[in-house]
Amino acid sequence: MRPTATAVAATAAALRAAFFAPPVAASRLLPPRRVLLLPLHCLSSSYSSSAVPPCASPSDSQPPPLPALMDAQFESFRAQLDGSSALRDRIRAVVSEVESASRAATAALLLVHQPVPLADVLGKAKLQVEVIKGLYSQLAEILKECPGQYYRYHGDWRTETQTVVSMLAFTHWLETGGLLTHAEAQEKLGLSSGEFGLDVEDYLTGLCFMSSDFPRYVVNRVTSGDYDCPRKVLSFLTDLHASFRMLNLRNDFLRKKFDGVKYDLRRVEEVFYDVKIRGLVPGESKQEVAQS
Amino acid sequence: MVPLRVCHRLVRLRGVPSSLHHPVPTTITMAAPQPGCKTLRPSISSRNSSPHPLLLLPRTRTPHFLSAFSLSAALSPASTAGPAPKRFRTMATDAAAPPASAGCSAMKAEFARHTEYLNTLNDKRERLVKASRDVTMNSKKVIFQVHRISRNNKEEVLSKAENDLAAVVNQHIGKLVKELHGTDFWKLRRAYTFGVQEYIEAATFCRFCKTGTLLSLDEINDSLLALSDKSVEPLQINVLDYLLGVADLSGELMRLAIGRISDGEVEYAKDICSFVRDIYRELTLLVPLMDDNNEMKKKMEVMLQSVVKIENACFSVHVRGSEYIPMLGSSAEPDYAFFGGADYD
Repeated sequence: MRPTATAVAATAAALRAAFFAPPVAASRLLPPRRVLLLPLHCLSSSYSSSAVPPCASPSDSQPPPLPALMDAQFESFRAQLDGSSALRDRIRAVVSEVESASRAATAALLLVHQPVPLADVLGKAKLQVEVIKGLYSQLAEILKECPGQYYRYHGDWRTETQTVVSMLAFTHWLETGGLLTHAEAQEKLGLSSGEFGLDVEDYLTGLCFMSSDFPRYVVNRVTSGDYDCPRKVLSFLTDLHASFRMLNLRNDFLRKKFDGVKYDLRRVEEVFYDVKIRGLVPGESKQEVAQS
Repeated sequence: MVPLRVCHRLVRLRGVPSSLHHPVPTTITMAAPQPGCKTLRPSISSRNSSPHPLLLLPRTRTPHFLSAFSLSAALSPASTAGPAPKRFRTMATDAAAPPASAGCSAMKAEFARHTEYLNTLNDKRERLVKASRDVTMNSKKVIFQVHRISRNNKEEVLSKAENDLAAVVNQHIGKLVKELHGTDFWKLRRAYTFGVQEYIEAATFCRFCKTGTLLSLDEINDSLLALSDKSVEPLQINVLDYLLGVADLSGELMRLAIGRISDGEVEYAKDICSFVRDIYRELTLLVPLMDDNNEMKKKMEVMLQSVVKIENACFSVHVRGSEYIPMLGSSAEPDYAFFGGADYD
């Protein structure tokens, strides 16, 4: 590189000399150009030293070629980024398994829309939850190799986690009629709040996904004769919606999903109204309806 | 029944404890989802021991029927005229209370925790964005300053620029350092990454003008270590932000090169050209390995255009140099005006 650089400098100098008839101008030009040119060649052994002054001396010191010094730094970058993209590939592999297990669980849960005994449906779903729990612990293991970078790769498992949380919360409601709390959700997935935890926003988005199952569930339950279901679902969903209203959300994805919850609530209210107005609610006397 | 279309903002009361109980036996909710909807469906919900809904509405705009919810809760003792609401109210009082009241308050307590968490997170994000904007602005000022360099005032311009850069680090990056702890570095990266990229651009630009070398990431991080004391976690810029900043640097170097050519310092421009070529070459290999590299891919396109512009400018000078006829008695500043200014945009 150095010979070519000096050759370039020589030709440039020759061109200049040819142009500038007044020699005064040439001589005034040359030293400043040297000043600018030489720092490039003046690179001493440690390019990292910030104290390299613009060398004014006309003698060129032995210049290490510039690309090599840049190369060293970029080599290390390449190694780092290779490592992180390999990690990312492993994470993606595990996450795709999570996605397939979660899909199996959701498919099993779809049976609740048909008159199938609840215990069977939940049994199948629980099996898948065990699988998913194992996969999340695998993820936690992978991430142990790079502590503190949970959120660097978080985007890779975010949507799957949200789907899993929604499935878990729905299962929990079918079993107990209550809300799956954040701590319980973490426990079910075998995660801890320490290194690899369940992100709160993922949990909340999962709850919003869960609420979209309710309108369809309520409709099918009423069709198959369970007239008490709408009341329970309505009270649960109203409480959930009221709790969500306590949050101050930015205009992001979670906010949009929360806005969807109120439409689910409205549909459940409509089903409840239909059942109520026709006196189908168990324990309602037909007398009061007759008053209308 | 009068459709309630009022949508008003209610003052958000933070941290309303769940012990704030207003015994409201029943309330009537009017669901009016669309403005054009004429009929209202009354639905009944029982709120035996829950906080009054009015107090819990967020400050943000609430949709129609939710505000109707709150209004109806306020108005239910004096509901609008008509036999129908009265009848439903009578029915409601006879309806069995749903059993979930205890669950409801537990839910509220849980969500109160989530509210706290989200509030702190969003406040921190806001502060980071503000600090990052300050860093960006001041770094840009440094860059403009360095652009005013010419062969005469190089030393003073560079020393002033370095002082300003140090000020940026101390004041504004100090603010970033204070906010970021633990997982925040990656979690909130989007909030501060632009500021950091601008700072890297300014710092590398200054260094290049001074010594012609590329300021390395380790050096930057070492200088940042000095910034924070032992108790606070230091801000260590990560590889991705560094590479994005270096990609922006090429644009500034292009402007510098064109400026130097029009000042007559053709050699300097050629050095810049080879420097930028090297950076482009190195970065090409790294781009596919970076996370979320859409941004970086766009920057690489821009970088290639910058390189081409510099190369074309050097080419013009080189080829058309023979056309230059010096005027007698001209000053030391050669006039390249007729090299075709339109070529350098």
